[in-house]
Amino acid sequence: MDALTAALKVAASGLGAQSERLRVVSENLANAQSTGTAPGSDPYRRKTISFVSELDRTSGSSTVAVNSIDRDPSDFPIEFQPGNEAADEKGYVKMPNVNVLIEMADMTEANRSYEANLQVVKQARDLISMTIDLMRNQ
Amino acid sequence: MEPVSLFDLATKQAQWLAVRQSAVAGNIANANTPGYTANDVEPFEKVLDRTAVSLQATQAGHLGNAATNAGFTIKPQEDDGVIMPSKNSVVLEDQLMKAGEVRRSFELNTAIVKAFHSMMMMAVKS
Amino acid sequence: MISGIGALQFKPSIGGDDAVTSLLQGGATPSAGGNIGTSFAEALSQAASKTVNTMQNAEQVSIQALKGDADTRQVVDAVMSAQQALQTAVAIRDKVVSAYLEVSRMGI
Repeated sequence: MDALTAALKVAASGLGAQSERLRVVSENLANAQSTGTAPGSDPYRRKTISFVSELDRTSGSSTVAVNSIDRDPSDFPIEFQPGNEAADEKGYVKMPNVNVLIEMADMTEANRSYEANLQVVKQARDLISMTIDLMRNQ
Repeated sequence: MEPVSLFDLATKQAQWLAVRQSAVAGNIANANTPGYTANDVEPFEKVLDRTAVSLQATQAGHLGNAATNAGFTIKPQEDDGVIMPSKNSVVLEDQLMKAGEVRRSFELNTAIVKAFHSMMMMAVKS
Repeated sequence: MISGIGALQFKPSIGGDDAVTSLLQGGATPSAGGNIGTSFAEALSQAASKTVNTMQNAEQVSIQALKGDADTRQVVDAVMSAQQALQTAVAIRDKVVSAYLEVSRMGI
């Protein structure tokens, strides 16, 4: 596989990885207030995503792939909401360990990386097109 | 390897630029991968100075890829860029700048080839 | 002395007819005020060598650009001059050939 097509493939893997990251961020944001249903039960636990670089055999370049989607092990913050159905006997509710500001920052980063990968896709495609244009009749 | 003709040199540079593009693409795709170090091709002047083109494996188990098959070595970048706590050394802006350079050089390359090709055709047409 | 093609590189508006007139004008200009002219054959050969020089210059500048160190505008100017010179030379060649054929067809 020639280098430009390999570049296209690598950039496409980057797009896929960043989209997964964005999906995880949106899940976290959507569930930022999702408490449990039974008294004292655990709420939504924040998801984290990690990437790994893989050597793609056909093109010989290092593509990126999702390594795993794990759960954030940090403690749940506790709020005082006696009316909530998940409140324990003292009236405290465990809230999801999602920090909205962190998720928004992550989303901005994911967007930025996605745009950069998209740039690479466009450029690789344009370079291939320019090469083919050499043959066209002037 | 001293190129004998303009077209040979242009072809060599075009190959080098394509390999550089794939290195930059790999860096940008792995901008958030922990432990990843940014790569770049050796400079074009070094490529021209080399007389022999050989296939080199840079690490054990490394398969031949498009880059080494064309004879250009890809090695980790030497600049002392920012290293993140996750040991990732990719700076996105630098990579995008390099991509821009590749594009400009490539456009000049194809324009030169096109112009000289058309001159050659012009001279040969009766 | 033909200076037409060299001067082309510095003209802001590069037109096709400019190239032809300046190429041939140069040939008619006497060097030290005097005899009417270099012969047509000499003028032609000077035009041809000037064309070759322009093209070699364009090739040199382009090779430098591919290696990475040449001013883009210089490359573009050199290549365009070469294209004009070549086009002019080809046009002259065609005219000369057809004129020769016509003359050779003339009855004695």
